[in-house]
Amino acid sequence: MRAGIFGVGHVHSESYVENLRAARGVEFVGAAETDRFMLADWTKRHHAFGYASDDELIAAGVDFGIVCSPTNAHLPTVERMAAAGVHVLCEKPLATNVDDAQRIVDVCAAAGVHLMTAFPMRFSPSLATGAEWIREGRIGEVLAITGTNRGHLPTGYAPWFADLKLAGGGAVMDHTVHLADVMRWWLGNEPDEVYAETNRILHPEVAVETGGLVTVGFESGVFATIDCSWSRPDNYPTWGGLEIEAVGTEGVFTVDAFAQRFDVWSNGQTSWVDWGSDTNQLMIDHFVGAVRGDHPVAVTGFDGLRATEVALAAYRSAERGQPVVV
Amino acid sequence: MTLRVGIVGAGNMAATHAAGWNEAGDRVTHILATGSTRAGSLAADLGAELSDSYEELLAAVDVVDICSPTDTHLGYVEVAAASGVSVVCEKPLGRTAKEAQEAVAICEAAGVLLLVAHVVRFFPEYSVARDRVVAGELGDVATVRLDRSTYFPVGDGSWFGDHERSGGVVLDLMIHDVDYARWVAGDVERVYARRAEPTGSGGHVLATLRHRGGALSHVQGSWAFPEGSFRTSLEIAGSEGLLTLHASEPFSALVPESDDVSAVPQPPTTLAESPYVTQMKHFSAVLHGLADPIVSATDAAAAVEVCEAILQSIDTCQAVTLGGAS
Ligand SMILES: NC(=O)c1ccc[n+]([C@@H]2O[C@H](COP(=O)([O-])OP(=O)(O)OC[C@H]3O[C@@H](n4cnc5c(N)ncnc54)[C@H](O)[C@@H]3O)[C@@H](O)[C@H]2O)c1
Repeated sequence: MRAGIFGVGHVHSESYVENLRAARGVEFVGAAETDRFMLADWTKRHHAFGYASDDELIAAGVDFGIVCSPTNAHLPTVERMAAAGVHVLCEKPLATNVDDAQRIVDVCAAAGVHLMTAFPMRFSPSLATGAEWIREGRIGEVLAITGTNRGHLPTGYAPWFADLKLAGGGAVMDHTVHLADVMRWWLGNEPDEVYAETNRILHPEVAVETGGLVTVGFESGVFATIDCSWSRPDNYPTWGGLEIEAVGTEGVFTVDAFAQRFDVWSNGQTSWVDWGSDTNQLMIDHFVGAVRGDHPVAVTGFDGLRATEVALAAYRSAERGQPVVV
Repeated sequence: MTLRVGIVGAGNMAATHAAGWNEAGDRVTHILATGSTRAGSLAADLGAELSDSYEELLAAVDVVDICSPTDTHLGYVEVAAASGVSVVCEKPLGRTAKEAQEAVAICEAAGVLLLVAHVVRFFPEYSVARDRVVAGELGDVATVRLDRSTYFPVGDGSWFGDHERSGGVVLDLMIHDVDYARWVAGDVERVYARRAEPTGSGGHVLATLRHRGGALSHVQGSWAFPEGSFRTSLEIAGSEGLLTLHASEPFSALVPESDDVSAVPQPPTTLAESPYVTQMKHFSAVLHGLADPIVSATDAAAAVEVCEAILQSIDTCQAVTLGGAS
């Protein structure tokens, strides 16, 4: 099975390339990128082939691809891939607006190609334990969930993360969707109301929100909060983290998805070195299996669409200062 | 000069305060408690007299310390002020914002001190964190996360469960962190909150505060945690840095579970001096004219006001904007 990376604008392309190379039965073909300088730099670092456009990579022959371009560029790439019958694993959030996200879902469905949203947290063993605990009622009925997915300012890799047009927003767009997806997965029902407050006190030099607190109401009456702030300083020992806690009528459990780490003091610096399961690898292996026909895609385009809707509703709420309906 | 202290109430807080006054070198000489089975033994332990009336108590003391249920606070403050006796009062200062503001105005007019026991300000982790903020180490405060999660308290006559008397988990428990949030991030402009109230628990609340300076606070207050648990946490992120509380206790042990659970939860502290004692020593110093109050009466009233807005948000399912700044 042949695979490519469409766009190297997203930092995850740096690890996905290694995951594709490690995936069984997969041949990594190369990466497409219209920015010549970025492509040259990326291919050199990864000893990979580069293609100047999506079409050239498609012409080289790929069965599936991972879309890693800036968020607003996902749709045209997915359209090209779908038209050529190439299966799509798309970076989150799917798009910067609901129409584009819906269109991504629709074109893949019409073309009959698999579409998966890149939510690696679905493959996290600790989060899967959480899902199981809720399914088995081990904390009784869930009352509320709190999640944090904070990171450092991601513009160090590429400035588009803080570009309203390319990313659709800042911290809210970047970090709301993972937890919104985990919560939908755990609860098995849909968000119907969102309240959000945002601010721009951290890194005031960027033109998008850097702090955000989102409250999500679910159809079942359960409510949840998501802290999506870019509140980890540059010298934080890692990129950030994801923690989530469920409070039920019979107990409480907490997941720190990146708790499996060493604290390492070396070269005058402190860093956290992760030794937990590689969720990106598990996600890609799963998608390869889906393309091979072994099983359905676990995290669909629809899941990506619903998570994107939560993030977009957060912006509407923040602007109005009141909760909004999703 | 040793202060003569009269305590109103003979429950959990009365006993805690009495121990603090002793450590401060003052003397609890009188106790007044209605409907208490513990008043006699507490008075005997302290060598104090049981007063027959409040007037009798006020005539015999330098300071009155109000440790009775919340809805009785204002009444006792009023009479003390009219008698020119300084007041220490447990939080919340009043059952409603109006009551709390009245208490402030009455004491101000009468020229008596009104010291409100927001004890969290005397917990070293909270005061040291605030010192870092004041020293500018974190830059401008952007996001604050505060959590106080425990089980449902059983007081004398279970008045805690009577919302009309205690104000429930928001006014009784969450107010600690509301006060702290104001202390580190300033006045609150707008609040949004959700509450779950499963049967048999005292409720679980998540609130978002937007401070006038733009900072956002996430505050969790819960009486729905499993019996025996008491968890607090604290994190402050600012434009120049991040402060997170290292969660582990300096002493830990694994022993078979005991069923020795205290009726009213108190946070675990492994400190040479209990923060409750630190608090009473501070009050004593203020009453002796040796220190300025760390908790101003207007701050105590403002915390009640924010809590009332949180309750209003819960009831109306809308964000609530607060009135004039204090
Ligand atoms: N700072 C803290 O950590 C903390 C902790 C718990 C409670 N509190 C606050 O302290 C106050 C007392 O709480 P507690 O835990 O001691 O409650 P409690 O139920 O243990 O004690 C209340 C006492 O007041 C007496 N009482 C009842 N009605 C009275 C009246 N009208 N006049 C005089 N006495 C009366 C009762 O007999 C009892 O002795 C409350 O305002 C509560 O919110 C603070």
